[in-house]
Amino acid sequence: MKQLLTFILAFCLTAAIGQNKQLLYGFEEIPQSLLANPGVVVPQKKHFGIPFLSQLHINGGASGVTVYDIFGETGEDINSKIRRKIFEMENTDFFTTTQQLEILNFGWRAKNEFYFSGGVYQEFDFITYFPRDLAILAWEGNQQYLDYGFDLGEVSATADLLTVYHFGANKKLGKKLTAGLRLKVYSSMLSARSTNNSGTFTTTIAENSLNIYEHRIDNADITLNTTGIASLDGMQGSEIPGELIGRAFFGGNFGLGIDLGATYDVTDNIQASASIVDLGAIFHSKDAETYQARGSYTLNGIQLIFPPLDEGEPTFPYYDDLEDEIEREIPIDTINSGYTQLRPVKMNASVKYSFGRITGGSGECDCTNMGAGVSRAQAVGVQFYSIMRPKGPQMAGTLFYYRRLWEFLSAKATYTADSFSFSNVGLAVAADIGKFNFYIAADNLLKYGNLAKAKSVSLQLGFNIKIDEE
Amino acid sequence: MKTTLLKPIVLVCFFILVLSCVKDTDFDQAEDITLTPVVELDLIYFDLDASEFFDQVNNVPRSTVTDTTEIRFLDDSEIRESLRRADFYFKFTNSIPRSFQVDFMFLSEQNDTTYTTQAFVNEGSSANVVITEFEEQIEGEDILQLTMADKVVVSVTIPSSNANLSGNLNLQSKTTYYLEIRDRQ
Repeated sequence: MKQLLTFILAFCLTAAIGQNKQLLYGFEEIPQSLLANPGVVVPQKKHFGIPFLSQLHINGGASGVTVYDIFGETGEDINSKIRRKIFEMENTDFFTTTQQLEILNFGWRAKNEFYFSGGVYQEFDFITYFPRDLAILAWEGNQQYLDYGFDLGEVSATADLLTVYHFGANKKLGKKLTAGLRLKVYSSMLSARSTNNSGTFTTTIAENSLNIYEHRIDNADITLNTTGIASLDGMQGSEIPGELIGRAFFGGNFGLGIDLGATYDVTDNIQASASIVDLGAIFHSKDAETYQARGSYTLNGIQLIFPPLDEGEPTFPYYDDLEDEIEREIPIDTINSGYTQLRPVKMNASVKYSFGRITGGSGECDCTNMGAGVSRAQAVGVQFYSIMRPKGPQMAGTLFYYRRLWEFLSAKATYTADSFSFSNVGLAVAADIGKFNFYIAADNLLKYGNLAKAKSVSLQLGFNIKIDEE
Repeated sequence: MKTTLLKPIVLVCFFILVLSCVKDTDFDQAEDITLTPVVELDLIYFDLDASEFFDQVNNVPRSTVTDTTEIRFLDDSEIRESLRRADFYFKFTNSIPRSFQVDFMFLSEQNDTTYTTQAFVNEGSSANVVITEFEEQIEGEDILQLTMADKVVVSVTIPSSNANLSGNLNLQSKTTYYLEIRDRQ
């Protein structure tokens, strides 16, 4: 159990708000910016992602704690550090990790000027809120917390492993507006969620009670939805990967979603854009198992009746009766009906001001294209990001500076404030070397000196073949 | 071409290898993580009427009444490893004009006695209800004995009894469990 705890701690703490791709958003030189905004301006004529290498995205974070907070060599006893953190953190603090691996990505500009793009990627997304009360109960016990109602509803977590098939179209509509739409088909391999729980556990010293204490569970309502997990139970460990790969290719639970986005040139150097990503749902029906515990119960201990017994005659099975009574009052039901799960919808918006020398084309003002934006070597701007999570939206604000350093190399630096910190500096670099496009983006650079002190880390990198407009 | 390739590659290396590291941390500290919850939990309770100590059918006193319950959580392997100390607290409320001897005998699954303790309850009366408290702190070797048990036999013994005896002997009890949960390989 301890190893598991250590693993979870280390994993969650080392592994941005989940999925915020503030560096990629609006970075036109990177074809994968189409996934953050299907309505981004697309400069190239065609692109092909190098299969399995076109985008690797990992990010993880914990809003209230760093690895260093727990495992730092400070000389202080680790248990006092953990205890202090348990009390410091709030039930809205969370641990999250997201990983995406692009399997295929391609796009081309058709004769009708639509830029079509499509592909397949695999995604793992996990978030758990910090169940503070339960952590206190486990760490301290109930002795110092008589009459305190421990909140069982703080348990809130989701985990998803899925494959996404997507296809989208992007077109410049008039001089100023570029808009795009992407359709997504989700194939969920594994899914588990426990959200919207409620109930309390209280130990009280009650006057005129049957025993010293009353241990009460009040109005418990705890639900765990799973799909794709029950059927793995009886399988050999070696069979599971094959089974999951099968589900990745349309074998799992299906879902549908869309991405929408647009970019608008307000003046020739001010550009606004916005996108909505993963507006959709997965319809879980295959291999669904929902566990539900509901009810209230008061425990007083075991009452002895002292029945008159003959020699060798057994007394009442008090303990079994007690267990039966608890199961009767707070039954754990297993339900096999399906459920619908909304995808965590993300929203992006940005305003960008471009300046400096004009890049691309002849380098001079295109008089036939007045009023439309032109590419310039430098830009500054602001971005907004939000993602819907079980306890409400999580938001982030970003300031960025973009610079085209040379014809083949551009960079974007970001400063992001979010639930994790107010000092997240990131840098993305995209290089076009011939037809070969490479990019890397990393977050929280100020903490790279010692990642242990970072509350979140995010890394994206990938390789594409890009064929530019003549 | 070669020089242009060099720059991004150097940048990447700069990112991943030079800049990122995890310093001043000691993950071996994980071995020292110890949870030390102190858990208050009700144990048993009963309310014995004085008439229980007299066999009305055969018209003879019944000097000892006995009952048994399983307490299966106690010999659970997790508890066996983690329990450092257990404090029993028994509160007797007596309105029977007799004193009592109450024996608690903890038995293993094979019915071997692993731990015993005994409480003496002061004589009460219907006019003057007497409360007797009894506490027992168990640790060290004794705790190992206690956690071998999965049931407890409670025997209440009255020195003398008759058909007219009246009143109640009430017991309320709880245990404070001092746990020390850590990785034991």
